[in-house]
Amino acid sequence: MNALKQVKKLVLFSAIGIITASCSNKDSVVPEPTPSTETTKYVLISMSENTLNKPGFATAFDALPSGNIINNGSNSLQGFGFGGWRPYGNWLLKMFNTESNAYGIQQLTVDASGKISNGKFIAGDNTTNGTGNFVILDENKGFYWDAAAPLKIQTFNPGTMSRTGDIDLSAIINERGQNEPAIKYRSIGQKFLAVKQGKLYANVTYAKTDGTQKGFFDDFFPDVYIAVIDIASSKYEKTIKIEDTGSIAYINDNTMYDFDSNGDLYIVTQGRSATGGKSKIVRIKSGETDIDKSWSLNMDDITPGGKFVSVFAKDGKIITVIPNTALTGGPTGNINFEDVWEFYNIDIATRQRTKINGIPPVTNPGAAFCAIEIDGKILLRATTKKGDINGYYELKGTQASPLFNVTAGGSVSGLHKIAIK
Amino acid sequence: MIRSTLLTGISIFALHTTVLFAQEHSTVSGHIYDANKQPVVSATIRLGELKTQSDQQGYFSFAKSPSGKYQLKVSALGYVTQEKQLERKNGQQITIEVLLIQTSTTLDEAQVEGRAHQLQRLQPIKTTLIDARAVSTQATSLTELMNRAPGIRIRQSGGTGSNPDVSVNGFQGKAIKYFKDGIPLDYLGDGYSIATMPLEAIDHIEVYRGILPIYLGSDALGGAINLVPRKTNGTQTNAYYEIGSFNSHRLGVKSSTSSKDNRWLFGGEMYYNYAKNNYKATVEVPDPMTKNPELVRLPFFHNGSKHLYGEIFAQLQNRIWADELRISLIGFDLAREQQHPAMMTDAYGAVRSKQYTLAPSLRYKKALLNDKLHFDQFVSYNNLQTERIDTLRGSYDWYGDFTPKTTIGETRLPSQSHINEHQVVSRSNLSYRINAQTQLGLNYVFTQVNRHGADPYGPTLEETGLDVLQLKSTYKKQVLGLSLDNYWFDEKLQNQLMAKYYSYNASGIQNTWLSANVGEKDKRTVSGNYWSLADAIRYRLSTKSLFRLGGEYTYRLPEREELFGNNIFIVPNFELKPEQSLNFNVGYQQSLFSSLDIEANVFYRRTKNQILLVTIDAPNAQYKNQENVRGYGFDIDLNYRFWKNYRFNTNATWTNLRLYGITSEKDQWMNDARLRNTPYFFANVGLQGSYENLFRGSDKLDLFLNYNFMREFYLETIPKSWEPNGFLGLSGNANINSNLIIPNQHLLNGGFTYNPSYRGFTIGAEVRNVLNKNLYDYYRIQRAGRSFYLKLSYQIP
Repeated sequence: MNALKQVKKLVLFSAIGIITASCSNKDSVVPEPTPSTETTKYVLISMSENTLNKPGFATAFDALPSGNIINNGSNSLQGFGFGGWRPYGNWLLKMFNTESNAYGIQQLTVDASGKISNGKFIAGDNTTNGTGNFVILDENKGFYWDAAAPLKIQTFNPGTMSRTGDIDLSAIINERGQNEPAIKYRSIGQKFLAVKQGKLYANVTYAKTDGTQKGFFDDFFPDVYIAVIDIASSKYEKTIKIEDTGSIAYINDNTMYDFDSNGDLYIVTQGRSATGGKSKIVRIKSGETDIDKSWSLNMDDITPGGKFVSVFAKDGKIITVIPNTALTGGPTGNINFEDVWEFYNIDIATRQRTKINGIPPVTNPGAAFCAIEIDGKILLRATTKKGDINGYYELKGTQASPLFNVTAGGSVSGLHKIAIK
Repeated sequence: MIRSTLLTGISIFALHTTVLFAQEHSTVSGHIYDANKQPVVSATIRLGELKTQSDQQGYFSFAKSPSGKYQLKVSALGYVTQEKQLERKNGQQITIEVLLIQTSTTLDEAQVEGRAHQLQRLQPIKTTLIDARAVSTQATSLTELMNRAPGIRIRQSGGTGSNPDVSVNGFQGKAIKYFKDGIPLDYLGDGYSIATMPLEAIDHIEVYRGILPIYLGSDALGGAINLVPRKTNGTQTNAYYEIGSFNSHRLGVKSSTSSKDNRWLFGGEMYYNYAKNNYKATVEVPDPMTKNPELVRLPFFHNGSKHLYGEIFAQLQNRIWADELRISLIGFDLAREQQHPAMMTDAYGAVRSKQYTLAPSLRYKKALLNDKLHFDQFVSYNNLQTERIDTLRGSYDWYGDFTPKTTIGETRLPSQSHINEHQVVSRSNLSYRINAQTQLGLNYVFTQVNRHGADPYGPTLEETGLDVLQLKSTYKKQVLGLSLDNYWFDEKLQNQLMAKYYSYNASGIQNTWLSANVGEKDKRTVSGNYWSLADAIRYRLSTKSLFRLGGEYTYRLPEREELFGNNIFIVPNFELKPEQSLNFNVGYQQSLFSSLDIEANVFYRRTKNQILLVTIDAPNAQYKNQENVRGYGFDIDLNYRFWKNYRFNTNATWTNLRLYGITSEKDQWMNDARLRNTPYFFANVGLQGSYENLFRGSDKLDLFLNYNFMREFYLETIPKSWEPNGFLGLSGNANINSNLIIPNQHLLNGGFTYNPSYRGFTIGAEVRNVLNKNLYDYYRIQRAGRSFYLKLSYQIP
């Protein structure tokens, strides 16, 4: 066989190989049905594993779940960044990108069939925790923080899911601690953004570190500062402070503030370190713009070495969890995965605490919707170390009873009701 | 075509005879050496009608050979065949030393691949052997080459030179250990790896997919890669230069010379790799105003890699007191740019890392007691230095445009770190042949690492302001291995029984939350001692078929980063337990019609306490014992030679590794789910053609085409009920609404090498990703599209 024939054979084999390899791509797009009438969905979210990318699931149920349910069926959405849930009205929003866990504001959409899909994403600086911390004023305006411009508050349109501008507050922030070299990082709105009666409240961070954890448990001042901005004019008005505490709120699913039925705003400060100390719940009363110095709940008076991680306020009562022992960190610490957190109903006027019956001590609900109200029912999130309890309880007075239990999909993080037109 | 140069004046055969009494048969045994007194492995020894092969020590024996006159013939690919007449009498024990002289130039590719096949065929421990020497003139890389083998998948984090992650039968990450000629490679960091070393530096790669032989003294959990460097013999030089797409340049030279009496050998090698890796990828670019990302196809602009590696050595050999005493000095300098974080979410324009060291080492080999006892000692000390630089006050976008900002660092971890790891590695290996049927082996590896460093931008201790990288940690590990090899039934049956003892001791500072007042009270010391056991059996059913069976119960000790964290965001965990694994494997190989080789292997594995990095209190993370994995898998491998000039090969690997033992009720749905981020099916098809005397006399052209398919897999755990329903999950798609699926991937590479018969020159060219398909590396990092590489090699003599 001469060389030319041999080459021809090889070319033939090559062609067969290429054709074989090329004909196996499949891309199919199934058109979604268009909803014609308004339907209600109850969207349940869970975190499937406690790893860095925060993988999890979301499922849209037609009715308020009850009994044993799963959150990872074939109609569930699986993704990364299943943390930082901040739903608003009929919008599902979270602080991390579903495909990559990047920081920002991620929209999810739900169609009438219950299929959940990724919507638009507002990207931000991906280097600093807190990027994507947001609050929504109305359907056309919201505020968020982006570490790309730490001394500004960004504005966005939640209807179109796009950034619209920013409010520069650098001059105000830099006034305090001007010549203090130990302040290595400053920001506004990194951990706390709230809208109350025409004013935007944004925490001002003066941090002792500028590395990985800047802005978290590294307060330079013993007091926590909050800037008050007039929303209509976008003008800075004043700075108020919560005295002798640290680490206001956080950045996760749980906003760590809530409004009572009368409009009073209750705010959590976690304290001096990740395991607490000087942790408080304080308030700004309705119609006022400063911290009510006559009222606070101090964890040091309740469980020394503990801290607050959530607040739910309604009709003069606060629902929260209180650790039944001092918190510890580290590989054998109890702070996150031990059943040390107990539910309490606290009368705001008298500060009298009443332990809620019918629900066991649970693991830390700080990164979940701890207490929520849906369809007039107050629901308490309960997940135990053993995993036999993982769902929501319904609260009536000071008595709770199981509503539903999630048996598959991971630790339940939250539930939100939306209407689809 | 093989050209041979036969040295004269060297005794080819040395015979020693003794008389055994009361035996009807004589025994013929011996060793096969090369000119450097190195054992020649898998040489074929024929004694009349009898046939056997030399083992790792070059040893062979005919236990029951009838008396009479016979022709002894010794051949090995790459060496000149030797023959001698032997006369044996009853009861006579004959010991022979055979010196084989290497052929002078490159081997015929098919023959060398045949050599590789021979090497792996007879081992009781299943080894996939990848022959780099056979394809060294191809314009390809070690990672591309390894991806063609069954059971192995390599994913990188972004282009040539980036860190590889090797998956062997589903084991990956720290469960896979790396060796250089049997020496654990940790001491050379990333400077000597499949991502950085060229084909020319490597003779072959042994991939162990199950049991590890004791001479690889490490706590691998069922997977190991031993890079065996190409040996230098006599006076020889080869050099090459390769140029390719994305500004890729590779060049290198390897040279050695020996004294006339062959008692000295000197040599050196130097390799330089540079790749800009500026290929195009589809990235999300946020709109400057709305901040909504848009998909744009842009070239990488900060993705380069530069690697310089050199080694010089002086070797005393053929002495009474030493078969080999080799003093080496290895140095490397590796610099990498980082274009993006683990996932392609952001563009970086200045983040880079460096690693370098100078590592002197000593290796001593000696055979004693009439070649029954072999001793091999290696020792090295070096300071492995690693730097990570992220000090930019600003950020880059995907277009490469810079925006200044006030804070330091483009990434979440601003850094100007410099870490010193002072390392001592010692390996002692002894093998003793009790008789022709029995051999004992002992291997001992001691490693110690003292780690300290500095980072002005790293975290500091709150009370003292001390840079936490300055906190010293020490890690010592000892691995002792014992083996017993037995041969029965005329060596048809070989059994290798192994026991290993692991011990580690680590001390450091428990600075879990990085904000405590750390002092003496926070010092911690942890230690552990463990035994493992393994057995491997090989039975040769005929000259053309054999059967293997192996089982191992073993441990992987926690690494020092897993125990002590990285002093950045990974915090220590002194409670870590070692990973445990029970593995079994069964294999069968058959040759048919002298042109078809078929091999099939099945494995089972059960792993407990798998260590994973988990979030403990964001942004802190910690290594924890998280998962148990069990399952099985198989691979088939087929080689067919046809029409004299052609060779077809294909292999396919399927694994069924699943989580088990999850007791938390809310997580029990994960029981029986596939191991996440682990490809479970991949296959290769290759076609080679070889033509001689094509355009001019004695020229040679080799053409090759390789196709690889990888089935879709899942970045995160999905319930078993969502998996594709087809046979073995090979058809259809997962029934999930997920953003975390890596789709099916197809890769086709093709190329040629041409030796125009000019002495020593070879030209090689390759087109990678011919179909320009979307391909993904580790964590959905996009790989390059179609790319071209051209290589010129030269060898003297």
